[in-house]
Amino acid sequence: MNDPTQITRILFQDFDPKAIYLFYAIGYLAIAVFIYGVYVQIRKYRRGKSDGSWNELFQRFVEMVKTMATHRTLVRRDKSAGRAHGLIFFGFVLLFIGTATITLEYDILEPLFGVKFWYGNFYLMFSLVLDLAGFGLIAGLIYMMYRRKWLNLPKLDYKRVDRQEGDPDFDRSQYRREDWAFLWSFILIGITGFILEATRLVWLSDSPHVWDYRFWSPVGAMLAHIMQALGLTADGAGSFRPVLWWFHGVLSLTFIACIPFTKIKHIFTAATSLMFKDPLAGRRLPRVPDDQKTAGYKNITDLTWKNLLHLDACTKCGRCQEACPANAVGAPLSPRDVILSLREFANKALSSKELPKEAELDIHGKDVGQVFMETLWSCRTCLACVEICPVAVEHVPIIVQMRRNLVEAGEMEPILEKTLQTIHKTGNSFGESKRKRAAWAKDLPFEIKDARTEPVDILWFVGDYASFDPRNQKVTRSFAKLMHNAGINFGLLFEAELNSGNDLRRVGEEGLYELLATSNIGTLQACDFKSIVTTDPHSFNTIRNEYPDFGGKFEINHYTTLVKQLIENGQIKLKKKLDYRVTFHDPCHLGRYNKGFDAPRDVIKLLGCELVEMARNRDNSFCCGAGGGRIWIPDPVGIEKPSANRMREAGQIEGLDVFIVSCPKDLTMFEDALKTSGYEGKFIVRELIELIDECVEYEVWEEAALPE
Amino acid sequence: MKILVAVKQVAALEEDFEIRADGKDVDEDFMLYDLNEWDDYSLEEAMKIKESSDVEVEVVVVSVGPDRVDESLRKCLAKGADRAIRVWDDSAEGSDAIVVGRILTEVIKKEAPDMVFAGVQSSDQAYASTGISIASYLNWPHAAVVADLQYKPGDNKAVVRRELEGGLLQEVEINCPAVLTIQLGINKPRYASLRGIKQAATKPIEEVSLGDLSLTANDVGAANSMSRVRRMYVPEKGRATMIEGTLAEQAAKIIQIINEFKGA
Ligand code: SF4
Ligand code: SF4
Repeated sequence: MNDPTQITRILFQDFDPKAIYLFYAIGYLAIAVFIYGVYVQIRKYRRGKSDGSWNELFQRFVEMVKTMATHRTLVRRDKSAGRAHGLIFFGFVLLFIGTATITLEYDILEPLFGVKFWYGNFYLMFSLVLDLAGFGLIAGLIYMMYRRKWLNLPKLDYKRVDRQEGDPDFDRSQYRREDWAFLWSFILIGITGFILEATRLVWLSDSPHVWDYRFWSPVGAMLAHIMQALGLTADGAGSFRPVLWWFHGVLSLTFIACIPFTKIKHIFTAATSLMFKDPLAGRRLPRVPDDQKTAGYKNITDLTWKNLLHLDACTKCGRCQEACPANAVGAPLSPRDVILSLREFANKALSSKELPKEAELDIHGKDVGQVFMETLWSCRTCLACVEICPVAVEHVPIIVQMRRNLVEAGEMEPILEKTLQTIHKTGNSFGESKRKRAAWAKDLPFEIKDARTEPVDILWFVGDYASFDPRNQKVTRSFAKLMHNAGINFGLLFEAELNSGNDLRRVGEEGLYELLATSNIGTLQACDFKSIVTTDPHSFNTIRNEYPDFGGKFEINHYTTLVKQLIENGQIKLKKKLDYRVTFHDPCHLGRYNKGFDAPRDVIKLLGCELVEMARNRDNSFCCGAGGGRIWIPDPVGIEKPSANRMREAGQIEGLDVFIVSCPKDLTMFEDALKTSGYEGKFIVRELIELIDECVEYEVWEEAALPE
Repeated sequence: MKILVAVKQVAALEEDFEIRADGKDVDEDFMLYDLNEWDDYSLEEAMKIKESSDVEVEVVVVSVGPDRVDESLRKCLAKGADRAIRVWDDSAEGSDAIVVGRILTEVIKKEAPDMVFAGVQSSDQAYASTGISIASYLNWPHAAVVADLQYKPGDNKAVVRRELEGGLLQEVEINCPAVLTIQLGINKPRYASLRGIKQAATKPIEEVSLGDLSLTANDVGAANSMSRVRRMYVPEKGRATMIEGTLAEQAAKIIQIINEFKGA
C-alpha cells in the first residue's frame, strides 16, 4: 500500500521557479483584467435608474439556485439544447470548484497553516469527479457545435427583421464569430486539459503513486494508453508537457480575463437576472412617479439597472423570437433584437468614463442601436417572450416604457391616437355613450341589479367588448342568464363602468390609464360586494394585478373559475352532453398572464367535449394579435395576421368541430380570421359560454325569443 | 412676439339625444365636450412657429365659455401653449359668433399680439364667422381657410395659401398683424397625452370677466346678438324604399333613381 499523502498531484512539478513566478504574474494580470471588466460593467448598471427589486434577497437567491440546478428554464421547449447546456454548466461548475479547492490548499491553507487534504482517497475521488465533469463539458460543447453547424436553426443565424440589408447594424456575423470563438476556446481548454493529464500519466508512468491509480482519471488514462500505443515515451511526454501546460494555462487565464467583455459574462449576468426576476413582469407594469416630468424611456439612462442587467443576460438563444407572434407573421419585431440593440447601445454609451451628451443617449430612431417606432408598435404584449426566456429577460416592461415615450411624443398611428381620444371622451373604445354600457341587458327577461345602489355577492365587470360589440353582446346575455339561473346575486356598474385600462396601459398611455383605473377603483370601492367576476381576461388582469398599485384591492375571478365551481356544486345543471371535438385557445391574459390554464379545460371536459390541444397551447399559446392595443391598429395588408396563423394551426386538427375561446377579443379576432383564412365551414369559433349555454335548458325563456 | 389663438370648446352629440325643453338646443346631458377640431390645427400652426423661431414666441390661447371650457384650455396648455385666458359671464349665454368675436377682440386689444389665429369654423355651430368678425372689429387684414402659411416672427408680411372650391389654391400675401382662419390638414396636430394634460393643471388659466374688458351685460348674450336661435329640431326623415327583385332588376332600379335625381 502506498502512502496516501503520496497519492496526489504535485503542482508545478519540475518547474523552474522563474516559470512559476511568470505563471503567477500572468494569473494576477488575468484577474486584474477580469476585475476591471467587472468594474466597468457595474459602473454601467449603476448608470441606470433605481429599481425596487432588492426585497427578499435570500428567497430570490434560493429560487435562482433552484432554477439553475434544475435547468428547468433551459430544457423547456428545447430538451437537447437544455441538456447539453446542463452538461457544460455542471461540468464547468465542478471544474471551477475543483480548481478553487486546489487553490485553497496550495495558496492559502498550506502556506499559512500547513494544512493539506488534497491527497489519498479524497484526491482520487476528486480526480474521478473532475474527469467526468470535463468529459460532460466536452460532450455538451460538441453537441452545441453540431447544433450550430448542422441543425440550421433559423434563430441562430441572427438575421434581423427590423433592419434591411445594407443598414450599418444589419450584419450580425460578429455574433456568430463570437459564438464560435467561445465554443472553440472552451472546448480547447477541455481537450488540452485531458491531453495534459494523459501526458503527465505517461511521463510519470514508472511512478506507482501516479500510474497505479490512473483509472481514477478514466479519460486521461485511456488517452495515456493510446499515446503509449502510438509510441510516446516517458521522456517524450516529459518534454512535450511544458508546451502543453503553458498553452492550457494561458488559454484558461485568457478565458477568465475575457469573461466580463464577452458572452461568457452570461455566467454572472444570467444568474443575477434570474435572481431579480419579477414574477409579475408585464402583468403589472411599473408606475410612473407623479413628480417625474416625462413618462417612459427616451434615453438609455432612463432604463433601470435591472433592465440594463437583463440586456446583458441575454444569451441570444432566440427562444423569445421563436415564440413571438409579431415575428411569426413577419412584423419588424424580434424581442431578441430589441434587447440586443439596446445592449449594443448601452455598451457603447455607458461603458466609457464620461457619459456622452444627452443627445447621444436617445434610444428611439433609425440609427445604430436605436429601436424603430414600428418595431415597438408591432408588439402585442402577449408575454410569450418573457415567458420562455431562460434567463428571465423581461422584454415587455421595456417595450411599454419605450412606448410611453412615443405616446408622449405623439409618435403613433393616427387611428390609435383617435381611439385614445375617444376613450378619454367616452370612457370606452367604441365611442359609445356611457348610457349604453348596459344596453345589451335591456331585453333580458329579468332585471340585473345595480351594484351601485344595492349590495350584491358578485359584481360583474363587463368590459368594453362584451358590452358594446354586437356579437359579444349575445355571449354577454348568455352569461347573464347563466348567472341568473344559477341563483347568483350579482350586479353591474352600469354607466359608471369605464374601460378597465389594461390595453391602454400596454399601449403606453399611462395618464389615461391612471384616470380610468382610479375612476373604476373609486366606483368599485363605493359598492358593496364580495368578489368581482369578468368574462374579459384583459380587465381581469389589470384589476387583479395592477389596480392594487392604485389602492384597489379586490378579489376577482375570470368567469371560467366561477362557472367551474357552479357546475361542480350543482348550481349550474348540465342537461346534456356535447360530443364535439374541440380545441381551446388560451387567451394571453388568462393563461400566460394569470396561469388560468385549467379552469376552462375542466369546464370543457365537464361539457363532455373531446379536447384536442393545438401544438402551441397553455404557456406557449399563440396570441390572437389583439393585445397591447393592437386591436385598435389595423394589421398591415399583405402579410398574414397572427389570428390567421392560429386558424391554420387549428385547421390541422382532424375533424375539429369547435375552436373554443374564452375572451371577447378572441371571439372577434378569430371569427374574422376564420372567414379570411378559408376554414369557414370546416369548424366554428365559439365562446365557451355559448357551449355551456347549449347544455343548460332554461325553463322560462329562450334566447331565440331575444333580439339578436 | 406673441401669437393669440382663439379656441372653442364644442359639443358632440350622442347617438340618441333629446332636445332641450325650450326647444332651442340639445339637452346638455347628451353632449360630449371637446376642443374644436379646427383649433387643434390653428394651435399646432402657432406651436410650429414658436418652436422653429430664434426669438421668444409666446402662444396665448383664448376662449369664451363657462368653467367646463377649462378642460379644453388645459389640453392646449398640455400641447405647449404658454398661457390660457377664459372669458365668461352668465349673461354671455346665447351670444352669436359676432358677439363672441367682439369679446375676443377686447382681449386681443389688451394682449396686443402680432398674429391672431382661429379655426375656419366650429364643428358644432359652423358659422365660420368668429375669426372674420375679429378682423373686422380690429380692422386688421384677414385670410380665411388657410391651408399653408409662410411666416416668421418679426416679418411684416405673411404668405398664405387659401383653399378654394374645386381643388384650387390661392396664394395671398398679407400684411401683418393679421387674422388667419386655419383649415384642417394644414399640419399634423400633436397628441396631448393625459399626463401632459394633468401636468398642465399647474399652469394657471386666467379668468377674465366682462368688466375687465370694459364690456357689460348689455353688450353680450342672445338679446344683444344680431341673430338668435328660434328653434332646433330634427327634420322629417327622407324617403326610403326597399328595392326588391333580382340583382339585375335592383341595379336597373337604382340607375333609374339616380337618373331621376340627376334630372335626366
Ligand atoms: S410580448 Fe409578444 S409580441 Fe411582444 S415582443 Fe414579446 S412575444 Fe413578441
Ligand atoms: S432574451 Fe432571453 S429568450 Fe430571447 S434570445 Fe435572449 S436569452 Fe434567449
